[in-house]
Amino acid sequence: MAQLELRDIRKTYAGALDETLKGINIDIASGEFLTLVGPSGCGKSTLMNSIAGLETITGGSIVVDGEDISGMEPKDRDIAMVFQSYALYPTMSVRENIAFGLKIRGMPKEEVRQEVERVADLLQISPLLDKKPSRLSGGQQQRVAMGRALARRPKIYLFDEPLSNLDAKLRVEMRTEIKKLHQRLRTTIVYVTHDQIEAMTLADRIAVLRDGELQQLGTPKEVYDTPENLFVASFMGSPSMSFIEVAIDRSDTGLSVTLEGSDGRRLALPVPAYLENWVGKRVVLGIRPEHISQPDEQKRDNPMVEEGRFTVEVTEPTGPDVIAVIRLNGIDVQCRLDAEHPVEWGEEAELMFDMRKVVFFDPESEKRIRPQ
Amino acid sequence: MTDVVRTGFRPSRIAIYGVLLLACLVYLIPLIIMLITSFKTPLDIRTGNLLALPTDWTVVGWTKAWSEACTGVQCNGVSGYFWNSFKMTVPAVLISTLLGAFNGYVLSKWKFKGSDLLFGMLLFGCFVPFQVVLLPMAATLGKLGLANTTTGLVLVHVIYGVAFTTLFFRNYYVAIPDALIKAARLDGAGFFTIFFRILLPLSTPIFMVSLIWQFTQIWNDFLFGVVFASGDSQPITVALNNLVNTSTGVKEYNVDMAAAMIAALPTLVVYIVAGKYFIRGLTAGSVKG
Repeated sequence: MAQLELRDIRKTYAGALDETLKGINIDIASGEFLTLVGPSGCGKSTLMNSIAGLETITGGSIVVDGEDISGMEPKDRDIAMVFQSYALYPTMSVRENIAFGLKIRGMPKEEVRQEVERVADLLQISPLLDKKPSRLSGGQQQRVAMGRALARRPKIYLFDEPLSNLDAKLRVEMRTEIKKLHQRLRTTIVYVTHDQIEAMTLADRIAVLRDGELQQLGTPKEVYDTPENLFVASFMGSPSMSFIEVAIDRSDTGLSVTLEGSDGRRLALPVPAYLENWVGKRVVLGIRPEHISQPDEQKRDNPMVEEGRFTVEVTEPTGPDVIAVIRLNGIDVQCRLDAEHPVEWGEEAELMFDMRKVVFFDPESEKRIRPQ
Repeated sequence: MTDVVRTGFRPSRIAIYGVLLLACLVYLIPLIIMLITSFKTPLDIRTGNLLALPTDWTVVGWTKAWSEACTGVQCNGVSGYFWNSFKMTVPAVLISTLLGAFNGYVLSKWKFKGSDLLFGMLLFGCFVPFQVVLLPMAATLGKLGLANTTTGLVLVHVIYGVAFTTLFFRNYYVAIPDALIKAARLDGAGFFTIFFRILLPLSTPIFMVSLIWQFTQIWNDFLFGVVFASGDSQPITVALNNLVNTSTGVKEYNVDMAAAMIAALPTLVVYIVAGKYFIRGLTAGSVKG
């Protein structure tokens, strides 16, 4: 277990014009679970390989427990990694796979045997120890890959999209197991994924990357509720946030924005007072599906809640909810409705807009407008 | 049911199998003639039909070819040259294959600046005609003091073979995921440990391809043998040529054929023993395991 600091990490590949990593700064506390998330090509795998020492960085430093490891060989860094493809040694049995790193480091035979058994118990793979990786299912291979990482008791664990080769059901199971394992062992983990649900569910903190730049670093709740910019807002959450360009108006009761449905019906919605400086200007309203729902008696008295009737264009039942699509200001907007009160497409539905958690962005800089 | 019957006797099927059988026969006739001739007596050969079976089966041709036939001035058969060929082929095959494996490992998993260019240039080695290098190679071997020795021949074949073996191994290793190498590096394995513990155990199919290819090439080589070896160090291909060209009275076709069979046997045996790996190795990577 160790503390990891990434200080202004830069990486330019040989012959490339653009920097792949443009100065990443992240401090990871001992025992913290950090997920790196972003679309493909955002540099998250490069950053992970840099931490492991499989890529050399062109600027900045990687510090573990106060020691700069940037120039070290991977084997000297005391970091273990779980790969997307598991990367199990195909000619070795599960036992040999787990023991390989221990033997190379010169651990005595008896200790190796004990360590392999400890890890096998921990991950419940004891019956598989003498099998070859090719005889195992995807989920079992995944466990062995984690076992190999756990056996060395390294300072830091790196997970490079470890679940993306599993089918949906197994992925959710393994996700829970990784979380349990982390809660038990409290190890420092950096976990790369492009799946925002994985990032949300596992992480203590999430780092959202785009084009080699850190967009936001925060707890899952912070990243979800108060995204720093349009990119983070659109990346996190499924179905994703809808963005509607609106003008801020002043009325008797305070500030408001006006939305127009597909049938031309208008609805004025209250907005927070911190948008005072934006009166008469255009902003981007970011509204999540759960902010638009069926009327709820308990919320009705809240001044930040408003109701209106809109035509439902499409419904997508997901089981617990129905995602309904309505058109506001010419844009498809998703609403999360209760599956117990079905709405049909083409019908009008009474919808409640909860404006307490909506966010606003500057259309120029695409940054979130913060409350003063 | 009727469908099955119809498929079995369709005229197109018969035509296909007929053509295949004919091609097979055309391909095999030389071998058949060689084999049956080698077991005939000289009289049988003179009076009988080329394709007829021997009237008296005899191994005289084989024993004479092995230990008595004249290759130039000496009349000790081809046995000595047969072993010469082994002494040349086995080390040359092993060394070129191991070097190729190592080159392939570096060129696929430890790429450096210009490694792709180097590989491209190495490929040219596959296309350089033998004749082009004869004179410079002769001069080099002379300077090294290896002229007319088996060691010299081994060296020539290793140099020529490395281009091919590198190509085989490099293309085989490219298909092996890099993550495996990364995982081993994080596990603490170094350059050689990764090669010997991770990659080599995975290389059986391509090893077989390389072994068969190199064995066939080197064993069957005539040009280098005739140019860079003389007298006692000559390989069997050269001895066979000398044997056939040495005439003392009547031409003994049975001895010639037996000697040719002896010269061809090792490559046949290698292919029969390791042939299934050859096919498997050539198609490795094209189908996901």
